[in-house]
Amino acid sequence: MARGLNLKPSRVYQIVTQILESRGMPQPPPWYKTIESIPPAAILTRTQPVQHRELRKSKKRKPSRMFHPQPIEYEEDKLRRDFFRDHPWELARPRIVLENDGRDGQKVDWSRGIQQPGRQLSGESVVQRQLWLMNEQGMPNSQAYDMARKEFYHLRHQEDVERRVAREEAEWVGADFAKGALEVSMELEDKSYESWKSWAEKEVEVLNRQRDGAYTAAVTEHGDDTFERLGGDDIVVESTDTPDQPS
Amino acid sequence: MILRNIAIRHGRRALAAPLPTSQLRSLSTETTTLPQQTDLLPPTFSNQSTLENSAESGPKQLRITQRLGQAKPYHRAKKDPQIKRDFQLKKTIERTTGKLGALVEPHYEPSQLLVDPPTPQDVTLELLMASQSHLGHATSQWNPANSRYIYGVRQGVHIISLEETAAHLRRAAKVVEGVAYHGGLILFVGTRKGQSACVVRAAEMAGGCHLFERWLPGTITNGDQILRRCRMKAIDQHDKELQGYDDKIENWQALKPDLVVNLNPIENYLLLHECSLNNIPTIGVIDTDANPTWVTYPIPANDDSLRCMQVIAGVLGRAGEAGQKRRLAAAESGEVTWLPPPNLGAPVSEAEKIKRNELKKEAILKKRKADHEAIEQSKVTAAQRELGDFDDF
Repeated sequence: MARGLNLKPSRVYQIVTQILESRGMPQPPPWYKTIESIPPAAILTRTQPVQHRELRKSKKRKPSRMFHPQPIEYEEDKLRRDFFRDHPWELARPRIVLENDGRDGQKVDWSRGIQQPGRQLSGESVVQRQLWLMNEQGMPNSQAYDMARKEFYHLRHQEDVERRVAREEAEWVGADFAKGALEVSMELEDKSYESWKSWAEKEVEVLNRQRDGAYTAAVTEHGDDTFERLGGDDIVVESTDTPDQPS
Repeated sequence: MILRNIAIRHGRRALAAPLPTSQLRSLSTETTTLPQQTDLLPPTFSNQSTLENSAESGPKQLRITQRLGQAKPYHRAKKDPQIKRDFQLKKTIERTTGKLGALVEPHYEPSQLLVDPPTPQDVTLELLMASQSHLGHATSQWNPANSRYIYGVRQGVHIISLEETAAHLRRAAKVVEGVAYHGGLILFVGTRKGQSACVVRAAEMAGGCHLFERWLPGTITNGDQILRRCRMKAIDQHDKELQGYDDKIENWQALKPDLVVNLNPIENYLLLHECSLNNIPTIGVIDTDANPTWVTYPIPANDDSLRCMQVIAGVLGRAGEAGQKRRLAAAESGEVTWLPPPNLGAPVSEAEKIKRNELKKEAILKKRKADHEAIEQSKVTAAQRELGDFDDF
């Protein structure tokens, strides 16, 4: 394999110019004039990246990291972290990140409230509403958070009520909903418990027979019928709520 | 919804490219014609054009929204009258039933990127962001040669600068337009799953060729072997096929593209290498993990997003279309913007061909006759010599 950089693609125009000068080609190719007037962009140069961080202690970044791209940070990031730390299950709600024309951020008006047409209600709307309250109305952080949060809870509660009522209405007119996740898992647990129970019964049978074998051997030796009188045969398994595991 | 039911009753083909007129209305600068409906709308969302910063307002209305009201039938309708009839029926249905039902907000429709691709003038930073062109790969996977195109790091991923993408895309569009104007053959390549539709559409618009299956190594360097079954034709400045070049075309070398546009250079290194060996300029979409030295004109963008690839292919296809249009317009006015290959020469007419065949036949007959006579003569002289030998005795 050839080592080093192959810059032939960027230098196509210069190479063909040389060939034409040395008359290796009868006429220039169709792209020649176009590429002459539109030279390729510069490549491979390391420019200083966009500065997203303020200079701290007026010191330059460590030389090895001076040309690396910097992390992008927004003031909403802290608010997002706080919200989702307090409401981790909001992360489980699916979110649509598809944009229409890229101007979706210009069509919102957070002064009207936490619900915006064309936008999903999520932790992001809480954060944006909180930010608006802090910046436009000068509210302190915790107060803005509480206000936005309460509006959010109200709307989520409304959604839950709507869902419950819709289910009831559907069942009233004959809808048949499938088993919920909890029901299905309870049934699976019951099934596995029943199969364990039948296994346990067999194991106890085996243990009893072993013990009987030992006793019966002792009885025939000494001619004693104490075991039979005591009814030692009759150890049965009773169904209890918390059965012990076999040792 | 009423609209859908009526359309289904009339036939499925009428739903080729849905464009509800309610969508057109909400995107135009004019206010809604029905006064009752404006009263029902909440005050802030009555009309997008009232916002000062909106691009839809005033003379700065986006081309793409202007063109939504002027949907033209796809050019294949010229060949198939059934398509034209279906389209007219669809338009009638839209006119009569379009104002019924709910007002649908303007939204992204994936099919529109193929039916009506954006032009180089429609390229905005908002369009590129909505098409997810700024999403690069994980920071550990980057190629440091691409650091000039990267805006920053977010969630462990490099973010490609939208300004860089827009600038490089516009430059590439100018190149495609220029090459098409000068009669160059443009090859659009996109071998990933789902890229076939936009690659074919772009090639169609630019009057070039497309490739969406694996590139066969040697198609350029060993073209005479791999492309031996491909038909070639000689055309004039008006793109009309010329007669009288059959013999020349039979023995002509395989054609090579004059510009290659590649949507996934990482998988097509061989193609780009062959192009560099043959001094063919290339345009390629360079993600944060790709090598920018492989192509002549890199376009830093996200090659994993189909929407982004459709936008880029659409823009370059439109640029090619504009170049072809300009070339044909120049040809109409008598100016030919390209040079024919030097070995092609003038066409050979039928009469000339017949005459040449006749001359060839005559020459062959003459030669045969002369050979025959020479053989006869040599036989006679040999016989005489034999007799002469006997005479010596």
